[in-house]
Amino acid sequence: MSAIDELCSELAKLPGIGRKTATRLTYFLLKQPPDEVVRLAAAIRSVSERIRPCSVCGNLGETDPCLICEDPRRDKELLCVVEEASDIGAIERTGEYRGLYHVLGGHLSPLDGIGPEDLRIEGLRARVANGCEVREVILATNPSMEGEVTATYVRGVLENAGVQVTRIALGLPVGGDLEYADGVTIAQALAARREMPR
Amino acid sequence: MRLASLTVRNFRNLASLDLELPPDGVVIIGDNGHGKTNLLEAVYYLVLFRSLRGAMDRELVRFGEAGFFIAGDASPRVTVGYEIHGRRKKVTANGKEIKRLSDAVGLVVAVVLSPADRSIVDGGPAGRRRYLDVLLSLSDATHLAALTDWKAAMKQRNAALKRGNASEAQAFDRPVAVAAAKVAARRHRWAVEWQSRFTELCTSMGERTAPGMVYSSRHWTPDGAAEGIQENLRLRIERDLRRGTTTVGPHRDDLLLTLGERDIRRFGSAGQQRTAAIALRLLEAQALSTSHDTAPIALFDDVFAELDQDRQERLLLLIKESLPGQAIITAPRDAEVPAALFERPRWRMVGGAIAR
Repeated sequence: MSAIDELCSELAKLPGIGRKTATRLTYFLLKQPPDEVVRLAAAIRSVSERIRPCSVCGNLGETDPCLICEDPRRDKELLCVVEEASDIGAIERTGEYRGLYHVLGGHLSPLDGIGPEDLRIEGLRARVANGCEVREVILATNPSMEGEVTATYVRGVLENAGVQVTRIALGLPVGGDLEYADGVTIAQALAARREMPR
Repeated sequence: MRLASLTVRNFRNLASLDLELPPDGVVIIGDNGHGKTNLLEAVYYLVLFRSLRGAMDRELVRFGEAGFFIAGDASPRVTVGYEIHGRRKKVTANGKEIKRLSDAVGLVVAVVLSPADRSIVDGGPAGRRRYLDVLLSLSDATHLAALTDWKAAMKQRNAALKRGNASEAQAFDRPVAVAAAKVAARRHRWAVEWQSRFTELCTSMGERTAPGMVYSSRHWTPDGAAEGIQENLRLRIERDLRRGTTTVGPHRDDLLLTLGERDIRRFGSAGQQRTAAIALRLLEAQALSTSHDTAPIALFDDVFAELDQDRQERLLLLIKESLPGQAIITAPRDAEVPAALFERPRWRMVGGAIAR
């Protein structure tokens, strides 16, 4: 196999990249100045060497525990449960949340052979066991059928943990247009309506 | 609704057809095995995008070919192509690709009448549920969405049951129950709405014993919503685990058809069953006319041969009323087409081709 073919087939393994795009990317890289390409290669290498999952929350970072778990300014009474480490980035960008996280590593999907034992649910139970600082667990799994089911399952696991369990709100997107929202979302938004503050 | 033109490539035994269809339709005469039913199936493929006779897509491809293509101009112009390699199906409406198949279902509406319809009445409950789900999916997009949600949740729950994990399976009880209740409620509402029309249709075809139609559900009650099904799922978890599949839900329901309180399936004569089957199809036509504001295209697959003169005449009157639009009628011989349908042009079908 030639070096070109080798890079093509490696790139084609990435999500959302097919054979054609992989070939285009390969030839694009060949046209770049050599130091640019070396920088990319070094960045990929250092990510794979230095990034580790946090043993406390499952977030990805260079330290263990991660920077969020170690940050003394974070509110240790709040714990937000997400499916993937990438969801933390989305929530952090809002700058609205000051609590801690817990990454499940996916959602329940018996069809794919993913059961509770394959998710970091035991770790979550241990973190909120009686006597810890956590007072509220926010379930922020995706609003898909499997995400809902996973939230329901985790709710059951935390039944006797002595913490308040909340579910992130579902409804209309901000700046959206009611007319173009799908029926399920509108129905959900109507069901979750709340009193208008004065 | 009228089909102005039809193009077929490599579908079953139909190699290549390009037809301009008259506004009232046509009569197609041809010996058995020459492709009359395949032509009707090709038209109906534009309605549901799957085989009328339950065949898999790759079985529909003409022997030795890579795929099939069907196009029909029924305003909208709908096309569908299928390739065996990669199992790709592409649907377009007025030249624009439709990504989700469910968005294309119901753009073209047609109703098929065929002698095989009797199996809806004398066969098992699955055929009657399918009858309901097809016509409800065509007339109401929310029914198809509920069916899809229900099947997705059921797949997950059944996979968990096969893994032998009760709590994992039970985590899916809620989504299964919510979607299942929607499916059952919609089917029930339809049966209530149309039961008197079913009685009228059977009676006008000469049925003397009082015919009835009612949706029967084991785990769902009209007032019970999702909670009843969820409770039943909870109670039967042990049995479900043993069998490795979900035993509670609308996949156990039936559309009960009766004559004087007795089940037509078991106690009806062959003639009574045939009458009930035709009544169901005419009901489908009327329900679809209501939801689409246009009469569906009528596809008659050799239905008149087995009816006596008297029933033929009564049926023709009802067809005029329920299916007043375009009709494609097939028969093996001229003599088997009722005289009243003769005004339409007559085509001959030989070896998958049309000879005029």
